[in-house]
Amino acid sequence: MIGIKTEKKMTSRENILSRAKANKPDLLELPVINVEVFADGKDLLEEFTKKVEVVGGNVVEQNVSETIFSQVSKMYPDAKVNYATLEGAGDFNTVSLEALKKPHELENLDVLILESILGVAENGAVWLSDGQLPIRVLPFITNHLVIVLKKENIVPFLHQAYPILAKKDNDFGVFISGPSKTADIEQSLVIGAHGAMTLTVVLK
Amino acid sequence: MSHSKAASIFNTDEKKVNWHDKALWFVRHKRDKSVHAVEGWENLRSLGHGIKAHTLSNLDHYLTEFEANAIKNGVQVHWAADAEEHNKIVHSILKKHNAKKIVKSKSMLTEECHLNPYLEADGMEIIDTDLGERIVQLAKEPPSHIVLPAIHKTKEEVDELFQEHLGTKPCGGDPQYLTGEARKHLREKFMEADAAITGVNFAIADTGGFVVCTNEGNADMGAHLAPVHIACMGIEKIIPKQEYLGVFLRLLARSATGQPITTYSSHFKKPIEGNEMHIVIVDNGRTEQLSRPDFRASLHCIRCGACMNTCPIYRRSGGHSYDATIPGPIGSILSPGKDLKKHSTLPFASTLCGSCSDVCPVKIDIHSQLYKWRQIITKETPQPLVKKASMKMMGKVFSKPSQFERVGKVARWSLRNLPKSVINSKPNVWGKERDLPLGPKESFDDWYKNREKND
Ligand code: SF4
Repeated sequence: MIGIKTEKKMTSRENILSRAKANKPDLLELPVINVEVFADGKDLLEEFTKKVEVVGGNVVEQNVSETIFSQVSKMYPDAKVNYATLEGAGDFNTVSLEALKKPHELENLDVLILESILGVAENGAVWLSDGQLPIRVLPFITNHLVIVLKKENIVPFLHQAYPILAKKDNDFGVFISGPSKTADIEQSLVIGAHGAMTLTVVLK
Repeated sequence: MSHSKAASIFNTDEKKVNWHDKALWFVRHKRDKSVHAVEGWENLRSLGHGIKAHTLSNLDHYLTEFEANAIKNGVQVHWAADAEEHNKIVHSILKKHNAKKIVKSKSMLTEECHLNPYLEADGMEIIDTDLGERIVQLAKEPPSHIVLPAIHKTKEEVDELFQEHLGTKPCGGDPQYLTGEARKHLREKFMEADAAITGVNFAIADTGGFVVCTNEGNADMGAHLAPVHIACMGIEKIIPKQEYLGVFLRLLARSATGQPITTYSSHFKKPIEGNEMHIVIVDNGRTEQLSRPDFRASLHCIRCGACMNTCPIYRRSGGHSYDATIPGPIGSILSPGKDLKKHSTLPFASTLCGSCSDVCPVKIDIHSQLYKWRQIITKETPQPLVKKASMKMMGKVFSKPSQFERVGKVARWSLRNLPKSVINSKPNVWGKERDLPLGPKESFDDWYKNREKND
């Protein structure tokens, strides 16, 4: 017979799992998602642009007559510290990520250009993940964020976004919708809380 | 203190109450505009409800699956039965890293566990980095709303707080200036932090990852700069598959503030190379709530705050009047489950109008659960004598139509003829803070009968 003293004390893990098992109701079915009920026939590009603007960002078309780097430089004439992950950045990049000892040194980054592989029309969000982010803090620590997105990579809803993401192994990823913001002081919207103060999506 | 007593303290500043009421109603309005533009919104709510209900019905399985995947991802997983164990675990991780300066992004769970004072007692500095939370932290107050922690503070009060603690210039409460100063102040804190603590909005069983939603970017600034990231979650945050984020992220921000999604929805899975990531999974009364068939749906809550913004009682009594980490309608269902005696007045802080249940993105039957708690509370806890006696009397009166008619006649006459000092006297709590209407000459019953005769 096992006496109370010899009985091993249950760990919290076992305790929680056994209580969850004992206290849960009979198994309920998982609902099936039928994405067709959400279809609203909106034009993807129009909706995406509208939503990015609603959340405080800008949408511009990439100029065919110049490089993205000269186009962005003109948008931020006062910027001193710039970085782009795109090929051919050359002189545009004033910092070398390899030379950084820690990500904190990016504190004064003015303008960052990244490429996104996915945009969502219903909420103006763009996806960034480890594949496009050599250092995770980059899109948060920069003052101004510019994201290049191909028009054909815009999907209508999050429901269409996740199957695309499921095929990729993302160690870290983020949907970003507009610049950072807060309304914590008397509900007045202020753009520029801890993250980027402006966000521009360049469509190509 | 009873809810009504605490509410009467908030109500001493009428101007502020009116502002609070209107500000929250405005947020509710933004929610309406946003959700009405979504095709299939009701379908989306049903999905949210169904996925959560299914998950709870297989919770042990999904927790185990989540744990296994998180460990595979190189994350360290801890389990805490209660608040104390949660605090001990977090403390020991911080101790191991010799962490002195800690930045924390919004997490109602760590509020619920009173983590800050626990860590501060050992000389650690713990900074709440969400602007609203930083404001209430400086004011040494708890948050009064789960999404808008400082909604009870005026901009002038924030101005004064910042002058005192951050050395800002007087600015007449300019939100732009104050937010800018907070950004500078908190940047410093992010730069020097030894560890970051965040909450968890959704934990995904099939990937072992978790999602944190913010508008300010504070969770990310903390988690990606500090060498250690500790994420704290209640067991009910689990969802089975990543694709269900499509449902919940669509529901959450629209219900909370009317935004189509929060600015940042960060999907964490593996730690940065060389850094550590920990997840603390907490029960603290949740498995007990799961055992109550009438109340288990309260565990569906995704903490959007919509039920608070719409509640006529919350808007006029303020979050602090609930004396609980989660205030408002949902808090009034959760709190009695933890301490029935302490929170026995909360389920009565409702008109049972049902507006909370109407806006809830995961379709929790909030108002019927409030009603069910009332049934339990009136049986199990002592009620004030006046309430008990008058309820009993009314019960008798209602059961006999002739008596009801007679009492009604007296009441109508009294309202028309007695002086106000008598009508609004102490035993009549309905006369408190309001004038009762002039009684009609005729009862509805009489009017109805006469109307039939005249036809
Ligand atoms: S109960 Fe529903 S409405 Fe209230 S905070 Fe939770 S999810 Fe939102």
